[in-house]
Amino acid sequence: MDMTPDPAPPAQPLPEPRRLGPLARLAPEPMKVVLNWGRRYSLWVFNFGLACCAIEFIAASMSRHDFIRLGVIPFAPGPRQADLMIVSGTVTDKMAPAVKRLYEQMPEPKYVISFGACSNCGGPYWDSYSVTKGVDQIIPVDVYVPGCPPRPEALLQGILKLQEKIARESTGERYAPAKPSVQALTSGLVTPPAPAPGSGSGSGDTK
Amino acid sequence: MAPLPGIPGIPGSGLAKGLAVTLRTMTKRTVTAQYPDALPELPPRSRGVIALFEENCTVCMLCARECPDWCIYIDSHKETAPPAAPGGRERSRNVLDRFAIDFSLCMYCGICIEVCPFDALFWSPEFEYAETDILDLTHERDKLRDWMWTVPAPPALDPAAEEPKEIAAARKAAEKAAAAAEAARRDQGSRDDQDEGDA
Repeated sequence: MDMTPDPAPPAQPLPEPRRLGPLARLAPEPMKVVLNWGRRYSLWVFNFGLACCAIEFIAASMSRHDFIRLGVIPFAPGPRQADLMIVSGTVTDKMAPAVKRLYEQMPEPKYVISFGACSNCGGPYWDSYSVTKGVDQIIPVDVYVPGCPPRPEALLQGILKLQEKIARESTGERYAPAKPSVQALTSGLVTPPAPAPGSGSGSGDTK
Repeated sequence: MAPLPGIPGIPGSGLAKGLAVTLRTMTKRTVTAQYPDALPELPPRSRGVIALFEENCTVCMLCARECPDWCIYIDSHKETAPPAAPGGRERSRNVLDRFAIDFSLCMYCGICIEVCPFDALFWSPEFEYAETDILDLTHERDKLRDWMWTVPAPPALDPAAEEPKEIAAARKAAEKAAAAAEAARRDQGSRDDQDEGDA
């Protein structure tokens, strides 16, 4: 009996999501405005509730704050049907691959709100060995909502901010090939300045 | 009475129950806060954002050292003032160069506000400062100073509370001055009477 496993299939390149047809450039400006208007007020939200901030998210979805008024619909069956991911809570290094994977499953155009200090940049766990210092290290974030936890109204204000951003954006710019911010993040180490020729190199000049 | 388990109830009773809930809810007032149109009424002690009253700050660094998140950045330099009187000692004081709070990191514990010995930090109930860039969440001193305009007045004292020390001292001084003036006036008046009696 042949126990050798089947040879692994050649690695398929991931489908390229960032490609626009020529129609995107040819589309008239009113059409873009209408499309942006539609995206803006139909944000099917996918809640990544990881800690106590998720409670505030739930409060914002309930009848007192009720973000369905703003067009944010919390009934997405999964990431494949969602437009907006709200990461509310502490992203641990163990959870980070799942966050990234579910983000990649969302259809374009997709938006991310980072809700609370933990997902902004680690928050109280800034010195922890196991917490990702900000969800923006793994996925791009559109709006950061500060607070620990933020009020439900703060989430509503973050959603309004995101809606303004969606109204301004154009798909051509959104799917532009290179972003300077990524370049800045992945740039190499800064080389230290060369020592001055007069100063010696050794332990003698440290005093 | 609930139907026994296993025995189905009257057909349509579930529908009637659901509609009864709908009817009951329909007659109640709505509880939804209309946030973007109507701002919420927050109590003055709400922990929204930290405001800096930089005139009171002496750069003692207590807030930056006590912050559990190390989210306060303070830079300062020392200035030497000439002596007030000739032959006196030169006085040095710290001048604030930079005061920044990173609100993406802040955990809103309020320890900085509690330890501030000169009341330079205050809570403000403002919460509308979500940003699209995380760098904008580090509020520099001018922005922190602007939050100061949103700080509510401190809550009133209890009716039976002890008087604040400053007000008590001022009131005592004023009473003492008034009593002295009264005594002087009475003294003057009696002396006038005496003078009139002598005449």
